[in-house]
Amino acid sequence: MIDVAGIAVQPGTAWLLGSIVAALLAAPAAIVVTGLRGRSPAVRRELWQRYVSWLAIGGLVLTPLLVGRTATILALGLLGLLCYREYARATGLFRERITSASVALSIVAMTFAALDHWYGLFVALTPLCAAVIAVASIPFDRPKGYIQRVGLGSFGLLLFGSAMGHLGYVANDTGYRPILLLVLLSVALNDVFAYVVGKSLGGRKLLPATSPNKTVSGSLGALVLTAAFVTIAAEPVFVGTGMEPVARRIGMGLVIGALGQAGDLMLSSIKRDLGIKDTGVVIPGHGGLLDRCNSLLVVAPAVFHYVWYFDGFDLDLPRRLLTGS
Amino acid sequence: MNVRREPGLVGFTLHVLALAMGRVYMAGAHRLRVAGREWLPSTPPLVLVANHASHLDAVALASVLPWRLATRSYPLAAGDVFFDRLGRSILAAFLVNALPVWRRRPKPADFAELRARLTEEPCALILFPEGSRARDGRMQPFKAGVGMLVAGTSVPVLPCFIEGAFAALPPGRRWPKPSPVRVRIGEPLLFATFDNDKAGWIATAGRLESAVRALAGGATEDPP
Repeated sequence: MIDVAGIAVQPGTAWLLGSIVAALLAAPAAIVVTGLRGRSPAVRRELWQRYVSWLAIGGLVLTPLLVGRTATILALGLLGLLCYREYARATGLFRERITSASVALSIVAMTFAALDHWYGLFVALTPLCAAVIAVASIPFDRPKGYIQRVGLGSFGLLLFGSAMGHLGYVANDTGYRPILLLVLLSVALNDVFAYVVGKSLGGRKLLPATSPNKTVSGSLGALVLTAAFVTIAAEPVFVGTGMEPVARRIGMGLVIGALGQAGDLMLSSIKRDLGIKDTGVVIPGHGGLLDRCNSLLVVAPAVFHYVWYFDGFDLDLPRRLLTGS
Repeated sequence: MNVRREPGLVGFTLHVLALAMGRVYMAGAHRLRVAGREWLPSTPPLVLVANHASHLDAVALASVLPWRLATRSYPLAAGDVFFDRLGRSILAAFLVNALPVWRRRPKPADFAELRARLTEEPCALILFPEGSRARDGRMQPFKAGVGMLVAGTSVPVLPCFIEGAFAALPPGRRWPKPSPVRVRIGEPLLFATFDNDKAGWIATAGRLESAVRALAGGATEDPP
């Protein structure tokens, strides 16, 4: 079931995978060490919870990736729907049934376009589905709240249909595994870098009203460290392609570092506006799905087009797999 | 599971499917007939109260409501029976679209929440003030809980009488027998002038009980 031959062919997959597994296995040692330093049991328990959740997330994310292209695209489509559901519940959009259904169907359609490897459809769906969302609730003759529901619906479409869809679309390249692993790992590390640097150096708060725990030092530190990590880790992934030059890899790292944090701040802004702390309780120790996926959403389309522009991948799998003649 | 549950897209779709299947089943197996449909308001809020002798009661009532009301209706189901175990909870919530009422551990805040939902959402509530199914088919006295919901509000309360459900599926039988079921809907009552205190609740329950018994006049099961 796991496409071992496919994994072996894609450079960089093995060692990226290996480093993720190693990090997950090494983390308990780090937790034990901080425990020995006399932290309170509540903090230790929270750390353990977060660790176990990371293990579960790692398993759930890596499995479809290893199984194959179809599993990856479907899993990401499902993730998009689940994240949208959380968003709709948090913002109240779920009460507007026809608008919400339009967004959900749009996400399904975009997943289908990725599965079919039909880029034209994938691109066309964004404005077309936005039009459907705008028009769908009009026949009910309830103009009160129109701008809010169409605005929320369109935002949801962009984030969970288009942005998440770009991530799935990467799977239409034969070398998709290391690229996706690289993106997922660097976005996750970006958060960790920001936290670690911020805690160590302290200093001025970045945006106290939006996200009270973020510091300027953490932000800049994350940018630098993520760029460094991506530059090194992307080398085996993009060898022989247009993304091989160091400058381009540094650029990719900066894009991930900056936009990853932007995605985090985007979610913080949404939560502050709504007056909530977490978007859900699905992941123990972390909050909801959105709390974990937010950075990825802003990064995905930018990285996709950056890599494509510099010929980092070819999207060389056959097109129109399902609908073509 | 609490009274603040609001169904999402999946829950709504399942509920609509269950309503459609319920309608087909009641029409086919029980040749459901309804009298007094003209008393139903065209939009919520409203409360339906009926006699209770069978699990078919809620299905029958949901089947006689027009679609626009049916999709916004919530039967109130006994928490200790329908929401105690996870599997049953999920069925009760998604298919029946029920909200829990805790009979042995009453939560006064729940009734305040339900009153608010009635007018703000707005929605239709279906409840059976007898509290439990009548084991012998004879109507039991109405409990005061219905008063906690409607006393002092201007939400129309429609008394209904369900005839034939006890014969088709009495308590204790596993599978229903195909036999005719009839629903009679009575004139809506308003309890705006009733006090929202114990005396008012008891008066409300009493008024509704006599209204339902009056509807039953002429039926074979329940003596009025």
